[in-house]
Amino acid sequence: MTGWSQLELGGSRRRLLQQTSAGFGWLAFRGLNMQTATAGQPVVAADEAGGAAAGGQTAAAAGPLSPREPHFAARAKRVIFLFMQGGPSHVDTLDWKPELQKRDGQTGGSAGRVGKLLAPQFQFQRSGDSGLWLSALFPELAKHADRLCLLNGMHTSNAAHPQATIALHTGSVNFVRPSLGAWVTYGLGTVNQDLPGFVTISPVGLGGAQNYGSSFLPASFQGTRVQPEEGGIADIRNSRMSPSAQRRQIDLVQDLNRGLLSRHPGHAELEGLIQANELAWRMQSSVPDVLDLSGESKEIQERYGLQDAATADFGKQCLMARRLAEAGVRFIQVSRNGWDQHRDLKSALQRNCEAIDRPIAALLSDLEQRGLLQDTLVLWGGEFGRSPQDQGSSGDGRRHNNTGYSMWMAGGGVRGGMQYGTTDELGEKAESGRLSTHDLHATILHLLGMDHTRLTYRYAGRDFRLTDVYGEVAKDILA
Amino acid sequence: MMHWPFKNIFCLACAFALSASVPSMAQDSRREGLDFFEKHIRPLLAKHCYECHSSESSSVKGNLKLDTRAGVLKGGDSGPAIVAGKPAESLLVQSVTYDDPNLQMPPKGRLTGAEIEALQQWITLGAPDPRSGTSDTVSRTTRLKEGRQHWSFQPVKVPQVPQVQHAEWVRSDIDRFIRARQEQSGITPNPDAARPALLRRVTLDLTGLAPTPQELAEFVSDAASDDQALVKVVDRLLASSAFGERWGRHWLDVVRYADSVGKTRNVPFPFAWRYRNYVIDSFNADKPYDRFMQEQVAGDLLQARDVRERSSNVVATGFLALGSMDLNERDVDQFRLDRIDDQMDTLGRSMLGLTLGCARCHDHKFDPISQQDYYALAGIFASTRTLSGNRSRSGGGNTYFHPDLLADISDTAAKAAMDGRDPAQLRAAELARADDLRSTLAPMVQRYKALPDGAPGKAALKQRMTALRRELQSLQVAQAATAPGAAGTGKGAKAAAKSKTQSKQQRLEAVPFDPDGDIAMGVSEGRIEDLKLRVRGEPDLEGDLVERGLPAVLRTVGMSRIDAGSSGREELGRWLASSRNPLTARVMVNRVWGHLFGRGLVETPDNFGVAGIQPTHPELLDYLAADFVKHDWSVKHLIRQLVLSRVYRLGTDIQPQQAALDEGNQLYWRGSLRRLDVEAIRDTLLQTSGRLEMTRPAGAPYQAEFTGDLSRVAARGNTPADLTLSSPVRSVYLPVFRSLLFGMYTAFDFAEPDQVNGQRDVTTVPGQALFLLNNSLVADASERAARQLQSQYGDNRRAQLAAAWRLILCREAGADELRMAQHFVESAEAEKSGLALLIQALYASAEFRYTP
Repeated sequence: MTGWSQLELGGSRRRLLQQTSAGFGWLAFRGLNMQTATAGQPVVAADEAGGAAAGGQTAAAAGPLSPREPHFAARAKRVIFLFMQGGPSHVDTLDWKPELQKRDGQTGGSAGRVGKLLAPQFQFQRSGDSGLWLSALFPELAKHADRLCLLNGMHTSNAAHPQATIALHTGSVNFVRPSLGAWVTYGLGTVNQDLPGFVTISPVGLGGAQNYGSSFLPASFQGTRVQPEEGGIADIRNSRMSPSAQRRQIDLVQDLNRGLLSRHPGHAELEGLIQANELAWRMQSSVPDVLDLSGESKEIQERYGLQDAATADFGKQCLMARRLAEAGVRFIQVSRNGWDQHRDLKSALQRNCEAIDRPIAALLSDLEQRGLLQDTLVLWGGEFGRSPQDQGSSGDGRRHNNTGYSMWMAGGGVRGGMQYGTTDELGEKAESGRLSTHDLHATILHLLGMDHTRLTYRYAGRDFRLTDVYGEVAKDILA
Repeated sequence: MMHWPFKNIFCLACAFALSASVPSMAQDSRREGLDFFEKHIRPLLAKHCYECHSSESSSVKGNLKLDTRAGVLKGGDSGPAIVAGKPAESLLVQSVTYDDPNLQMPPKGRLTGAEIEALQQWITLGAPDPRSGTSDTVSRTTRLKEGRQHWSFQPVKVPQVPQVQHAEWVRSDIDRFIRARQEQSGITPNPDAARPALLRRVTLDLTGLAPTPQELAEFVSDAASDDQALVKVVDRLLASSAFGERWGRHWLDVVRYADSVGKTRNVPFPFAWRYRNYVIDSFNADKPYDRFMQEQVAGDLLQARDVRERSSNVVATGFLALGSMDLNERDVDQFRLDRIDDQMDTLGRSMLGLTLGCARCHDHKFDPISQQDYYALAGIFASTRTLSGNRSRSGGGNTYFHPDLLADISDTAAKAAMDGRDPAQLRAAELARADDLRSTLAPMVQRYKALPDGAPGKAALKQRMTALRRELQSLQVAQAATAPGAAGTGKGAKAAAKSKTQSKQQRLEAVPFDPDGDIAMGVSEGRIEDLKLRVRGEPDLEGDLVERGLPAVLRTVGMSRIDAGSSGREELGRWLASSRNPLTARVMVNRVWGHLFGRGLVETPDNFGVAGIQPTHPELLDYLAADFVKHDWSVKHLIRQLVLSRVYRLGTDIQPQQAALDEGNQLYWRGSLRRLDVEAIRDTLLQTSGRLEMTRPAGAPYQAEFTGDLSRVAARGNTPADLTLSSPVRSVYLPVFRSLLFGMYTAFDFAEPDQVNGQRDVTTVPGQALFLLNNSLVADASERAARQLQSQYGDNRRAQLAAAWRLILCREAGADELRMAQHFVESAEAEKSGLALLIQALYASAEFRYTP
């Protein structure tokens, strides 16, 4: 497997730099071409970018973020990942367990488990034509049942929040590795060169920047944080000078930077910094527009629940996600924490679900109406689930459960109205249709048209993959 | 736990049984047997057993792997899984029949009758099994024995200093180690950096500040040799108080320093700053690092020369109290064990470079550290009372705060501790003394008021009153801090009446927020006890009691036996500080090297375990560690050695020829451009624009603003950033509120303060450019700096521009740069101060953000 970064290892990169005035941007593009070329795929020039690269900046035409063709026909072009940190209780939401209902209050489950079995705390009902079982906590989402593919056989290797969160985002518990969004952006580039390819809205603190980091991948693939509560992206406007004056200033900065780079040919950080300056410049006009929700109709705002205090925060984030998707951002993550119900299971879960149910339903129908859902993969879920056994004296809580839990997908190339995978009769362990973190990642990459075994990056003398040496695509869920 | 509970019951020579039985079968019956395996046994094992008993298992249970023939034969902790030919004697069969309540596999549910029969039949056939591969599970003793061979557990060996061909190049033994490796690889190092670049490098590295134009002029014009001129600069920098502010901050990264507890109820630590100042002062005083470690782990138990030292020692133990905790955690055991885990993890990674926390729920996946080891060490912390000022409980408001859970560092408390007196007695004495003082003061006040101004003795009377009042005040503060419960009982009628009208919580808050209070975070000895192992780390799944002590793999260097009446922290501290400890000196010299060269000799500074990366220059690492210990663990000595070396001085230019041989600069043939950390960016912005306030602010001036759950404060739109980032003090003195870091800090990769962080991320994101181009902090600094230069150089544009380069980039501008700048300033002038915009461009340039 040849990663495109092999160029960086030999002398060829430096020779190229000396020979061409196009410099790093061209080189980076060449490098990326190498990747697909070695994979035996036709290399298609970045036409897709042409229209979107407003401003006509040279770096836009051939930067590392230029769109690239996947390995094979993609079912999805972009991802919206709705990450629910803390371990949402699958047995109360997405994984209907009548046996658990029956055995409420009894002891049960595998050896070493403590606590008594706690029945699902909310009613489940069949929804849609497909008759998917969904908890009453999602009345709005239930209307989209026929678009959902429930992944009931999820499992992950670690039952602690930080490790499992980082594993879900990077595939690795012990090592700092590039995040899923960074891999996707590395593999496919992004359509809109005026926006980052990977945006994470209100990322959770746990795991920190690792969850959207690029690790050894070039810095351009790292996620850009958007904090809606702090006005989106900090310092996105300059009130002190006109755009043309600022452009002249940036030109000067870049001239100085290129001077420094000329003494340090091939210095990846300096190259990344120069590219980041250009992206920052373009983002100043593109980001405020794309994050400005005021232009959305009242009907849309209401649909996302922006008027209601319970749903406003998450609704805003979902609406932003839709706008970013529409604008051509490749990977968008929305995060919400507070799903760690060791106690107050009933009330907290109800509150959480209420906050997201309406906004997510609005997102799905909005994407559908705009013709985006068919090639947008929407993924919902947390780092693990919760135990069928109760916890604490009140009995109104559940422990972590990493051996079986649930997520769902919708849109881009996945079958709707499907339940894929099962846990045992109590919801403790994934039995059929088992999906590990690596399997999940492999499946996501597959939907995006990438073979997870071929998406590699050479670093420290070895080809790295998002899925390490694991991962199996869940073929049954493909539409 | 799903370990098979039997040990060594069926340790028969099964391998013999199998090898004897298989060849004895006829060829076709052999094939039949293998077919049987493929048809019935392999699917069964895969379906029911592999999840926990194969190489693919996330954690192999009971050290048993059933995915190779060797694994089946070797068995796990309970012995071999099968006795070929004898199903009844095979553990595998015994467990699947569920006959023994202690041995029931698979745990999910009993196999079907047909499946059990198949297994029995297979074993009767002699357990034919075509699977190859070796079983790599190892017993704990083997693991420990092999684990001890890991390089970092080996004693530090003073290596022989290698010979080099280019003897004229080297300045010290450090250079000999570096140059010898370069010579072996045919690599030629870069020429030295020019003096201006070197000055900027060493000034930023040692103080986090930029050299002033005067310092630049002096250094450049110093007629002394490069060696001598550099020595002068280095000694000046090492002696400046900015040194401790820089290097103290590096340590604060490592000990997850913060001014709030983080997590669900993010209440402030109003006294964390004492520990922060202690760290800064320790680096400035060049406190021997062995002593520094001991104080942080067991300062409260060390002998002190005077009350000041005693108090400082207690403050040092703040190290153990600063962790991020979930105050909303109502499960008291969970809370306690989480805190111990934070202490273990911090101690392990900061001082030992070991991820001890990994062994909380199971044996360490990589290092030879068992779960037993974890709980042995955890017992030391379980026997320690952590005084962080807050406790776990539910509900809103500020009820997490409790002054009873803080350390009293008043002189009286220090005296009591040094004399071995009972603090309660002392408190009673203090109360009596306070009453005395009040009754003495009252008539004096009357007398004072009655005296006309200028009357003889009035000034003296006032002096006397002030002294008494001060004493009274200190007594009251000390009492309030130490009195269990609340504002005491003997404080007079007025105070009591007042307290009735206040809620208890308000009273609790009122005391600790007194910025003059002699109160600190820290630890003291708690109820001495050993801890029970917790199965899977679950608080309520108690295992065996584990005697307090060190992890077995580290017992190569002895720790004195823990006294039954003490927690063991003192012994632990002595062990850390032992010159024979293989880890502590290595870990520290590697940290220092990393800060000066951009990358540690061990690239994983917080992990010297098996999953860490091997040192690039193991002999040099040992040389430095030994030299460090030999020089009384002096951090300043170590840094001085390193920055005076030749290798530290090299220019950063990338030479294609050398890069072709060693692109990653593993052999240090060039200096590396190193990104300034966010503190240095902010401090030099303020410094070069003449705004930086170099004096240390008293206490924590922001604390009055933030007394509740900070996330709620922030939700009200009153973020700590608004109130403090614009303050002109050095960044190290700004509060670090967990999960509420300043935007600038996040953009420029400040260390996440939830856990140990010996190496900050270096990211390159548009947000950094946006900050430098658009944030008012940068624009203001640019305008200030421009005004400064205008007042110095009048209308002389060329002089202004040249001075701007010296001020901000610490070098002379090139002719083409000056031309470019002049052109830019003139064309920008129409709109704004062109000079200010130029200066901002310099701030926004890559060069400003890197040490050259």
